[in-house]
Amino acid sequence: MTEPLLKIENLRIELALRSGQAPVIDDLSLELRPGETLSFVGESGCGKSMTALAIMGLLPEKVGSIAGGRILFDGRDMAQMNDAQLRSIRGNEISMIFQEPMTSLNPVYTVGEQIAEVLRRHKGMSKQAAWARAIELLDAVRIPNAKSRVSDYPHQMSGGQRQRVMIAIALACAPKILIADEPTTALDVTVQAQIFDLLRDLGRETGTAIILITHDMGAVSEMADRMVVMYAGRKAEDGPVAPVISHPRHPYTKGLISCVPHLLAKLTEQRPDLTEVPGIVPALASFGADACLFASRCDMADDKCRSSRPPEVAFGEQHSACWKADQL
Amino acid sequence: MTALLTVENLSVRFPIKRGWGKTSWLYAVDDVSFEVQRGETLAIVGESGSGKTTAALGVARLVGNSGGKVDLAGEDFLALEPEALRRARAKVQVIFQDPYSSLNPRLRAEAIVREPMDSIGTLPVDQRAARVAELFEQVGLRPEQMKLFPHQFSGGQRQRIGIARALATNPELIICDEAVSALDVAVQAQILNLLRRLQRDLGLTYLFISHDLGVVQHMSDHIAVMYMGKIVEYADRLSLFNSPRHPYTKALLSAVPSVDQKRKVERLLIPGDPPDPLNPPRGCRFASRCHFVEDACRSEQPPLTEVAAHHKVACIKA
Repeated sequence: MTEPLLKIENLRIELALRSGQAPVIDDLSLELRPGETLSFVGESGCGKSMTALAIMGLLPEKVGSIAGGRILFDGRDMAQMNDAQLRSIRGNEISMIFQEPMTSLNPVYTVGEQIAEVLRRHKGMSKQAAWARAIELLDAVRIPNAKSRVSDYPHQMSGGQRQRVMIAIALACAPKILIADEPTTALDVTVQAQIFDLLRDLGRETGTAIILITHDMGAVSEMADRMVVMYAGRKAEDGPVAPVISHPRHPYTKGLISCVPHLLAKLTEQRPDLTEVPGIVPALASFGADACLFASRCDMADDKCRSSRPPEVAFGEQHSACWKADQL
Repeated sequence: MTALLTVENLSVRFPIKRGWGKTSWLYAVDDVSFEVQRGETLAIVGESGSGKTTAALGVARLVGNSGGKVDLAGEDFLALEPEALRRARAKVQVIFQDPYSSLNPRLRAEAIVREPMDSIGTLPVDQRAARVAELFEQVGLRPEQMKLFPHQFSGGQRQRIGIARALATNPELIICDEAVSALDVAVQAQILNLLRRLQRDLGLTYLFISHDLGVVQHMSDHIAVMYMGKIVEYADRLSLFNSPRHPYTKALLSAVPSVDQKRKVERLLIPGDPPDPLNPPRGCRFASRCHFVEDACRSEQPPLTEVAAHHKVACIKA
């Protein structure tokens, strides 16, 4: 097996609340291998974006902090790095694109200047060379007529084009890891298909590993090789996408898949009610408890689930943190 | 079956000011006709800017400048005078997308649900409190929650308040404008099940606006697909999803990622962006992005033509 590119070990991130510290990420371990696409899945407030921000060293200052564990990138622990060291990695070896292509670009600079900025900062390119490379990158993300569009301001572009510009910026330095945080949630479905195709092709060409954060199981099954299902700051389940989706070993994964009406190969007259996962994600204050945090929403839960945290059980490459994983 | 809502040649336009005294009109909905049968759900799908929301809100005269004919339960909506329109709106209510901004933060939940009855005057004053209590129960909220303010509820609960408010006047038609798009998937399932249960129990009629084809597939009986202000395809649920005819519908369906491994359709990517809505092309509006385009498509607008029972397509090659 190849050496992982990124290895997170027992990561714990605490968030300062008025009532004290709460672990938004609690004992999370995972691996990202070179060139693969790994997906983080879960509802809002489950810690998907928080994990990504921690990898980028972008946790909100004075509010969130790494309280334990390691984030190993190329053998170095990013949790111990200072700002200058992180800056040389961010946007260079690990870069990120966000959900909102409207607000992540600077409205007063042309898109060319914003792409060139990254190249000049990290690669020390000259103004002319960076500009020329910016045009090549716009072309690579399939913006038609890149030579003239490079001088456009963000407001002159559509949402899909802006997200392409974000991808061009993110890929400018040929990073080893690209983190895409809900990259298509704000976009139309046909545009989403274009962006997914682009990410897949670019990933294949450059060998960049992708972390795709999403709540859409359809997107996971089309884009990712492996997935991590997160619930209330903990890993509920992980493994290769196909077996996890066809045979989930955690009731939360099962709920996430069956509560969404998916398009099927052949639609029939039958239309049963959707499976409900009752209730909502618990409040932050209860995140640290020694129990299964999903128990309050789970129809299989018993006293054991409510009184001790389930360990991870392996089923081949699939892992589930559920006391009843073998019954699923 | 009788049509509850008949819309004929509806156009909704917005003035766009261009310099001194010059106004051009943007037709967000351009000459659209459809019917909704009592007790069924018609979904209008399309991407942002397609005019789906404007078409639905235009029916209730909530946006823009509508032309054409809208018959809702025997009332000619577009011809009503302001006072008559206000009263007629008891027949059509809306569930909005954003459960955060669509509830007044300074009113208690019970006052929010009661408001349509007060402003339209559908029930005698002394019966309204009982009706509010009944509505709370119907949407799955507890009686003690009536006294709370919107910020004390979760997103899903707020959407339940929005649904109770929409039901308050016993409307004939409920417009669901992206009613579950802002919700997390697990909560979305709860609300979709609630909407279907209410439809079964109360015989409601929905005009269901959504960009999410999975949700539409689950909720609708008939579907109208819109592109740039026009209906390009209209069909019953099984025909639309199992045998789409318009190139845009096909592309739209093929773009949706699915967990069903058997549903490996070849993706029909649509190149480019839609044309400028202020200056729409003369012929078929999809022509500039269509893989099957020919000269005739660019010169004339294809009419919405019946190709099979309950299946209409606006494409000369369908």
